[in-house]
Amino acid sequence: MEKHNNSEGKFVPYLLIGISVLFFLVMLVFPLAEVIYRSLKDGIEVYKSALAASNTLSALWVTLIATVIALVVNTFFGLCASWLLTKFEFRGKQVLSTLIDIPFSISPVIAGLAFIMTFGRVGWAKPIIDWFNGVFGTDISFVFSVPGVVLATIFVTFPFVSRELLPVMQAQGSAEEEAAAMMGARGFVIFRRVTFPHIKWALLYGMILCAARAFGEFGAVYAVSKARGKTFTLPLEIDALYMAGSSDSITQAFAVSSLLVLMAIIMLVLKQIVEYRGKVMEE
Amino acid sequence: MYVEMKHINKNFGSFEAAKDIDFGVEQGRMVALLGPSGSGKTTILRMIAGLEQQDSGDVVIEGKVVNDISARDRGIGFVFQNYALFRYMTVYENIAFGLRVKKEDKRKIDDRVKELVKLVGLEGMEKRYPDQLSGGQRQRVAFARALAPNPQLLLLDEPFAAIDAKVRKELRGWLKEMISKVGITSIFVTHDQEEAVEVADDIIIINEGRLEQMGTPVEIYKKPKTSFVAQFIGTSAVLDDFSGFKGFENLPKGRQAIVRPEFVEAFKSDNEKFKSLMHATETGIITNIAFRGSYQELILKVNGISLTANRSLERRSVKVGEQMCVLVYRVYVLADGDTEIHKNQLLKGIDIEAL
Amino acid sequence: MRKKNILKKGLLLGMSMMMALGITTGCGNSSGSNNNGSSNNSGGSSKEESETVKLTNVSYDPTRELYEQYNKIFAEHYKETTGKTIEVTQSHGGSGSQARSVVEGNEADVVTLALAHDITMIEEAGLIEEGWLDEFEGNSSPYTSTITFLVRKGNEKDIHDWDDLIKPGVGIITPDPKSSGGACWNFLAAWYYADKKFSGDEKKVKDFMSKLYDNVLVMDSGARGATTTFVENGQGDVLIAWENEALLSVKEYPDEYEMVTPSISIKAEPSVAIVDENANKNGTQDVAKEYLEYLYSDDAQKLAGENYYRPSNEEILKTFSDTFDLSVDLCSIDDFGGWDQAYKDFFEDDAIFDEIYNQ
Repeated sequence: MEKHNNSEGKFVPYLLIGISVLFFLVMLVFPLAEVIYRSLKDGIEVYKSALAASNTLSALWVTLIATVIALVVNTFFGLCASWLLTKFEFRGKQVLSTLIDIPFSISPVIAGLAFIMTFGRVGWAKPIIDWFNGVFGTDISFVFSVPGVVLATIFVTFPFVSRELLPVMQAQGSAEEEAAAMMGARGFVIFRRVTFPHIKWALLYGMILCAARAFGEFGAVYAVSKARGKTFTLPLEIDALYMAGSSDSITQAFAVSSLLVLMAIIMLVLKQIVEYRGKVMEE
Repeated sequence: MYVEMKHINKNFGSFEAAKDIDFGVEQGRMVALLGPSGSGKTTILRMIAGLEQQDSGDVVIEGKVVNDISARDRGIGFVFQNYALFRYMTVYENIAFGLRVKKEDKRKIDDRVKELVKLVGLEGMEKRYPDQLSGGQRQRVAFARALAPNPQLLLLDEPFAAIDAKVRKELRGWLKEMISKVGITSIFVTHDQEEAVEVADDIIIINEGRLEQMGTPVEIYKKPKTSFVAQFIGTSAVLDDFSGFKGFENLPKGRQAIVRPEFVEAFKSDNEKFKSLMHATETGIITNIAFRGSYQELILKVNGISLTANRSLERRSVKVGEQMCVLVYRVYVLADGDTEIHKNQLLKGIDIEAL
Repeated sequence: MRKKNILKKGLLLGMSMMMALGITTGCGNSSGSNNNGSSNNSGGSSKEESETVKLTNVSYDPTRELYEQYNKIFAEHYKETTGKTIEVTQSHGGSGSQARSVVEGNEADVVTLALAHDITMIEEAGLIEEGWLDEFEGNSSPYTSTITFLVRKGNEKDIHDWDDLIKPGVGIITPDPKSSGGACWNFLAAWYYADKKFSGDEKKVKDFMSKLYDNVLVMDSGARGATTTFVENGQGDVLIAWENEALLSVKEYPDEYEMVTPSISIKAEPSVAIVDENANKNGTQDVAKEYLEYLYSDDAQKLAGENYYRPSNEEILKTFSDTFDLSVDLCSIDDFGGWDQAYKDFFEDDAIFDEIYNQ
């Protein structure tokens, strides 16, 4: 690396930085700025009414429910799966690890269609659901309904938490847990007092990624949600507004989009904080 | 016997980690599991602890078979190789952990932790975190932590492996003193024979999953029972046939002979003191001289074989290539798990010890 | 750590899944799944007197504005006549896709789709009883439309008839017949023109259609999607569109677009039907019938006309003679032997459309 002490050396880093900055400007900053601009173009009143519209509020509600439930479920499963994979030896360990990654490799639309094939009217799981409904007097459906949206969201955001936890837990090794076990601690105590402090920041980071992804999910949810004002999420509502075609509705579409942009910014800030705090803790 | 391993076997897949391991440790004794890397000694330790399950055989503690009792319920203190201190807890919390798990009274915990902190000499460090401590200090915390819940058995896995040489010597002495003060039965694993010899009451030599010999350090050293033990301990030469040497013609054939440095004397041909022994000596040429701090280690080529002799620094200086008179006054001969001493026949009647 | 721990972990995992499902469905139930219904009081808040009746209308792509307005006037009408409040949930998309979603479990009480064939698909799945076509007037088409062209203002590419579409350099936007009903009508209208022009020489007709589809830039999944591509995204020179779509775009952006009516087109009959299985399950048979019948009322017919759908009521249609070019030569689906035949000939897998498009 001695070569890079001359002027040529100074040029390359600047070039790379320049390209990166350009990339982010073009791909991120300008489009996002455009969204904000277009949403406010017709004035603040239009903006406010677009956000207060009943369809928008319903979509916001569904998005929040789906995100929160997906977050809770995937945090729990992420913890369990990572715990299993790093602290135990068992047959099929590799299979479990691969299964966890499936949502990453499948296009979300395919996931949505798979749900329809399984839980839809002609799906193979329908008789089971019908039986369940019959016994408990409920009317649950997993397609074209909010539970369907929640399920699709859970599926596509499944790997995020465990992906963050695995490397941290693997690096940690099991010596500390063994030490705690030798002193009489049971599983949950070990987890709470020994494992958890190690993985706190990785867990938080994974949860933020999970939430961010859940917010923006479109493909899988699109396949299982058709009722505007009932089962639509924010991204679907934005699509509906855009498809309505009138210049008013397009401004409304941008207004609702700005909500998602806001969420994205919040997630980004949170992520930065967590990363920073995590690094500080390491030192 | 306080701790017994009865016919323990353990395989990891096709790798045999423990083959018919059978021994007992008396209460209050400090025992070293000594052997080369990969010999299975750590596995044996972990099986006593319950961190590994044996394939067959029994682990017996205080007369009870503990095979089905999980590690957490065996009441054993364990000091891990890299201490495994809880990174996110202070020294105080680390030591208090075992007691907190047992839900002891807060006051009691405080007293006990303070007692241990004093015992290991870490007053003033209670609020520090492990990464703010030196290696030696961490070791002492690990020790205190293991002792806090008053276990009946203490297991240590290569406790000094991660410490630099100078501190190691100090800590060795300290550990031996501590353990005898507390009076707890202890088993520790090491690959360093100097350490084992210095610290332990008894040594168990493990090689390739098998128990080679168990005995006091003196026994192991003076009466090695297998050729592995003989080679492992000290700096011996192991020879297939020593009958070619003067005074050893009557050595039983087909048995290995072990020559320790203390059985060998190298002196210059004009040495007055050993004049009467000249008839029993061979000629040897010095091929290497190594300074060992308080003595010199000479390697001499005698009759085509390399022998080691130790030479006090008080004697005349020698140099490589010099011809010396080499006297071997006895050897160990291995025979089916026992050793016999064979003396140099030409020295009969001469009181070697007096010289 | 022993095998017993694995078993415990597995059980814990399994139980948590049940719990998670429970939470999910619990939330789903309370915040509105497609639970239409006076019979299932899972929400529990519906009183006897002023029940809110819930109805789901699965429709095709362009009818978003139409039904937004229609649902309002119907709700008023329903309130007046029965004193009950009605809440209509809308769903829009390509007609074929929508029909498939109903088959797969999308609980529509009524469907208002782009062509009879899509409704037949639902009938064949067992959700609609036979004879639905005659249940309402005019083959259950309360409004009709036709196929026209939408071009950019000034019509630089000089597009006046189907012939102009195959000129080189003309960019066409039309949706995909596999998912969109409008796309099927588009295709058949073009075919009819070519058929007339080449006096039934199928080879020449196929050649014409092939040239036409060569000029297609983008195939969206629905008619509204195609409009968005043409208008918002500014792609293509001409949009082959439902007349109502074209007129809507001209209304929104009069300075940017104009509509061109070709010499020959097809009478497109979007049909409506009650989805009997769902309506019976939800107890909405009566409401559904009223909902669809009201489409034929004078008020609704006027509303349709205002939204650029040709009212089936002849008299009211005449009052919109400024809006619609009533002199266009329109063929109908019967010229193709009905939808079953037409679908078999043209739009099934490996039929004529696939043949032409995949060349």
